[in-house]
Amino acid sequence: MIAVAIDENLEAVRELAQDITYPVLMDADHLLTELYAVSNVPTVLWIDADDRIARPNANEFGTDMFVEFTGRTRAEHFDQVRAWVRTGVVPDDAATVVEDLSEDEVNARLHFRLATHARNAGDEATAAKHFDRAVALAPFDFTVSRAAMPLRGEDPFGPEFMAKLVEYQEMGAPFHGIRAERNTDA
Amino acid sequence: MIHVIADTAQNVDTKVEAGTLRVPAASLPDLVGWELKDEGLCRASECVPADRTSIETDDGVDLLAAAALLGRPTLVDADAGMAVVGAAQATRNQALRDKVAPNFTLPDLDGADRALSDYAGKKRLLVAFSSW
Repeated sequence: MIAVAIDENLEAVRELAQDITYPVLMDADHLLTELYAVSNVPTVLWIDADDRIARPNANEFGTDMFVEFTGRTRAEHFDQVRAWVRTGVVPDDAATVVEDLSEDEVNARLHFRLATHARNAGDEATAAKHFDRAVALAPFDFTVSRAAMPLRGEDPFGPEFMAKLVEYQEMGAPFHGIRAERNTDA
Repeated sequence: MIHVIADTAQNVDTKVEAGTLRVPAASLPDLVGWELKDEGLCRASECVPADRTSIETDDGVDLLAAAALLGRPTLVDADAGMAVVGAAQATRNQALRDKVAPNFTLPDLDGADRALSDYAGKKRLLVAFSSW
């Protein structure tokens, strides 16, 4: 198990990672979102011993808090993981081909990365300009639009996000990979 | 001087003019992992063929042209003195189409670099999460 925080807040991640014994890595530049077309968290990938991706990007949760939304329990995912570890068997959805990032989503990542470096350098005006551009290019890619919120003084659990979440669901919950809402009619 | 965010992030001596970003040839391996030779952009025994004179002048190598040769997207904010070179689409295709996991190196919570390949030979559950 390798956990990668798509995050630049080391203290917040440290808090989440308390008592965790597997490696937790910091990806402040969102490299993983670019290499694997990760568009939201949590995203889980299964990687075989020979580096083949046994099951691609899937929106799986470590709790049942969202089961009403998703119709998917954590136990179902864990059972599938155990079966894969024991026997190599993967579920049918492992054949899913993850859609590539659009040009806008690629550019959004570049603007986001430039913005975070500008912010770290204390250049707030440049950061604001490029966060704006990033969010405009990829409004429903939460590794861009939601991740930008705490970096610009907004609350990623506040009313702005809740309004965005409603919009996201109305759009059919776009996700690069196996969607969480796979067992519902959404 | 421009802050270039590529394979590493560093301040680089540059000249920006008319859609080019001239950097010292010696900075290329750290920035994009390839070096400029007469054959083109080279890494170990492989080269992406290129006419050296088309991307290198006395002012340095055009980083934007070098990135384009490697299929990597770029973004420049000359006023802010910053530039970004993103990952190649071909690298992402390796994951999405060929289903082979691209390697990456990231720091752990103590700042020590760890690579996906450090755990090669084992089944790995890779979990992307966040505090937001």
